[in-house]
Amino acid sequence: MDERIKNMRNIGISAHIDSGKTTLTERILFYCQRIHAIHEVRGKDGVGATMDSMELERERGITIQSASTNVTWKDTVINIIDTPGHVDFTIEVERALRVLDGAVLVLDSVGGVQSQTLTVDRQLSRYNVPFIAYVNKCDRTGANPVRVRDQVAEKLGHNAVLMQLPIGLEDKFRGIVDLVAMKAYYYDGDYGENIRVEEIPADMKEMADGYREKLLDAATMFSDELAEAYLEGDVDQDMLIAAIRKGTISRQLVPVYLGSAYKNKGVQTLLDGVVRYLPHPTETPYTALDLDNDEAPVALKSDPGLPAVALAFKLEEGQYGQLTYMRIYQGTIKKGMDIYNTRARKKQKVGRLIRMHADATEDINEAAAGDIIAFFGIDCASGDTFVAPPLNYSMTSMYVPNPVISLAIKARDKASEDNMGKALNRFTKEDPTFRCFVDPESNETIIQGMGELHLDVYIERMRREYKAEVQTGMPQVAYREAISEHAEFDYTHKKQTGGSGQYGRVAGYVEPLEEGDYEFVDSIKGGVIPNDYIPSCDKGFRTAVQKGTVIGFPIVGVRVVINDGATHPVDSSDMAFQAAALGAFRAVYPKCKPIILEPIMKVSVEGPTEFQGNIFGSLNQRRGIILASTQDGNFSVVEAEVPLSEMFGYSTVLRSLTEGKAEFTMEFLKYGKVPQSVADELIKKYQESKKENK
Amino acid sequence: MVKSELIRRSPLRILEQSIHGGLGSGNIGVIASRKGVGKTACLVHIATDKLLQGKHVIHVSFSSRTDHIMSWYEDIYREIAAKRELEESTEIHDELVKHRVVMNFSQVGVSAEQLIGSLRAMIVDGKFGAELIMVDGYDFSKGDPASLVAIKEFASEIGASVWFSATVHREQPEVDDNNVPVALSRYMDSVSVLITLAPEEDHVSLKLVKDHDQYPQENLSLVLDSRTLLIVEPD
Repeated sequence: MDERIKNMRNIGISAHIDSGKTTLTERILFYCQRIHAIHEVRGKDGVGATMDSMELERERGITIQSASTNVTWKDTVINIIDTPGHVDFTIEVERALRVLDGAVLVLDSVGGVQSQTLTVDRQLSRYNVPFIAYVNKCDRTGANPVRVRDQVAEKLGHNAVLMQLPIGLEDKFRGIVDLVAMKAYYYDGDYGENIRVEEIPADMKEMADGYREKLLDAATMFSDELAEAYLEGDVDQDMLIAAIRKGTISRQLVPVYLGSAYKNKGVQTLLDGVVRYLPHPTETPYTALDLDNDEAPVALKSDPGLPAVALAFKLEEGQYGQLTYMRIYQGTIKKGMDIYNTRARKKQKVGRLIRMHADATEDINEAAAGDIIAFFGIDCASGDTFVAPPLNYSMTSMYVPNPVISLAIKARDKASEDNMGKALNRFTKEDPTFRCFVDPESNETIIQGMGELHLDVYIERMRREYKAEVQTGMPQVAYREAISEHAEFDYTHKKQTGGSGQYGRVAGYVEPLEEGDYEFVDSIKGGVIPNDYIPSCDKGFRTAVQKGTVIGFPIVGVRVVINDGATHPVDSSDMAFQAAALGAFRAVYPKCKPIILEPIMKVSVEGPTEFQGNIFGSLNQRRGIILASTQDGNFSVVEAEVPLSEMFGYSTVLRSLTEGKAEFTMEFLKYGKVPQSVADELIKKYQESKKENK
Repeated sequence: MVKSELIRRSPLRILEQSIHGGLGSGNIGVIASRKGVGKTACLVHIATDKLLQGKHVIHVSFSSRTDHIMSWYEDIYREIAAKRELEESTEIHDELVKHRVVMNFSQVGVSAEQLIGSLRAMIVDGKFGAELIMVDGYDFSKGDPASLVAIKEFASEIGASVWFSATVHREQPEVDDNNVPVALSRYMDSVSVLITLAPEEDHVSLKLVKDHDQYPQENLSLVLDSRTLLIVEPD
């Protein structure tokens, strides 16, 4: 096989917030000689870590956009996608995962498996991404990497195996015992760049032997050859590595590495682990859908000689126009060649082709299967597939959740208004979970997204990157209306005063639909409504459910069945039946006992146990249902279900209740019925706003 | 069957009659057996019965995960609802969930003080009016009687009753003069009701060892169904 592709790794770095992911990436860049100095994420030098290329990310100390960067470790080319850790940005994580062949899951040696680790783990499973774990921050007080391994096994259900043992912990963390080589590693020099290999300290020998046994035990499951050698007491290192690699790639084993990126320990050994155990591009099966053949799945081959197939997985506004990050799955893309965007059905010429290193770019002439590169100056949306003719493939569509929160925004002046338009255009292309539209009634621009922070970040980006000053309204929850009972309708739409008349009669019933938003069933017998008018009826009902009459939000979970009706030889028309359907629904809706649904979030609060009373209290005040709390020493995790409408400003409240020592994450769980008192309030507000608009 | 009928016909009414109307608030009950006989299932069944009556329950566990406990509740509820063909089962279930909290302690050697502190935080600060507290997996062999006294005092203060599960180790099958497993003897002053689970050939029988002031040694006419692990009347 092609040596080039065997020596290539596309990896992501996933983690819970503040697990030190960006610091780790920064160290990797340093050891791979892509950068010449180390800056801390919240460093004193004010430069910030190299990967957080946006000004805003530097200021907040969090990573928002996943920049891709290319490094070389020993003989292996590694493309690293730095993924954001906050739940509000999971679409970014999901998109990054789509193009990865493997991942490093960073865990905090104290916090262990945290709420967001669970989310990230689910995502890795969804895309079948093999990974190795890195237990970071072994220098922190309370560090316990062995316990973290246990949590990966128990809470995530993985066959996690320690590859290393720490030599000392907390402030005495000095080095690492490698259980494959059975040697001790120390990281000397100002930045841990000089690795000193020594014998395992005498007092750790027995412990190391014990853990080595466990490692061998786990590895022999994947190699008969190794099992035999093990019984004969003659284990060869390459054999062991091959077995662990097999287990890791099949996602049946998770090698656990450890260290402290901040203290420059264990990063190079982790890189060796990435090269050894994570798959190269040909080891991951990828399929595309053939648009010329009824979307039949086709397997792609990482062969540079075949026609090219690539996926645009990320867009960024660069200095010289749009920067499009691409993963090439098959074939070769060359500067100047024609490629075809199968979604937009548009042929385009490849202009500048570049390799990305956080903020710096390197021009290249071609790139082949397996690689991650970027295009300059190609107009497309995120998720588009590019192919070389004659192919007409599309990579499978990505899972995109619906937005749960919306916010009205207004530009402060004319210049801002133009810039705001540009910014919104860009953001909606970059991020499918971010949407925007103009409300036809209030004429306001509404933006929608996955949470308060998600929208906040875009508002700030408008200010900073686009110089658009905007005023924002109160965040609005995406409520839904639904029906709770079956009811019948029989409605005639009739207008026969002068000119050509309108006539249509529809009858049937509506009932709650368990799954899905809307279903239309045609049970007309004997053509009492001619087939030609049935789609008009459907259209009329669809229009009706777009906006409910209780609080003006879309109606979901409705099945409409029509089973009778009447026509007029002259006055019936498409318009008449649409009007009849709309009228019928409006008339029957109140009889179906409509209810209001609100988004319920799955909330997880983590903090010191001493504050658990405050945490319980704050969730209770927010109509939260506390499902469970887990105490582990002085650390507590509380899981609850809380309506989104109650969560506005919670981060501030939580901070003040817990001296800033607790944090929370939340994600959309389901729609739930709002209690009567809240429903009454919402209805009252809706009535008032309707009056005002009149 | 409708909910009220289900509650009325629950085999747990037999248990209540046998122990003079129930455990009573401020009291501690213990269900003891060897490992893997069905103590957790018993606790969850008793808790579910209370939840159906609209009462609030805190389930304390000492394992590594809370989702295990939640799936116990899901399973037991599903079995009860299926057996009695409960009407509006989904709605009732959604209501039950609101009245149930799992509190899990992952570290070893949790003190009574810590336990009470957390329960108080949930009940007082979290305004969760628990009427029943289930403590599953407390290690009686390592605990001390003073802890149980403290928990009993706390239970009286908030007006809740508390059920514990207790594991009787295989190596220590002996019982004292009152037929109480020796590992539990020193706690008996704080325990109002003690039920032991005895695996027989094809079922598990429930034996009432202590009933408030008496030691009746009576076989309750209740068994654990070996398939559903529900408390049922024997065929």
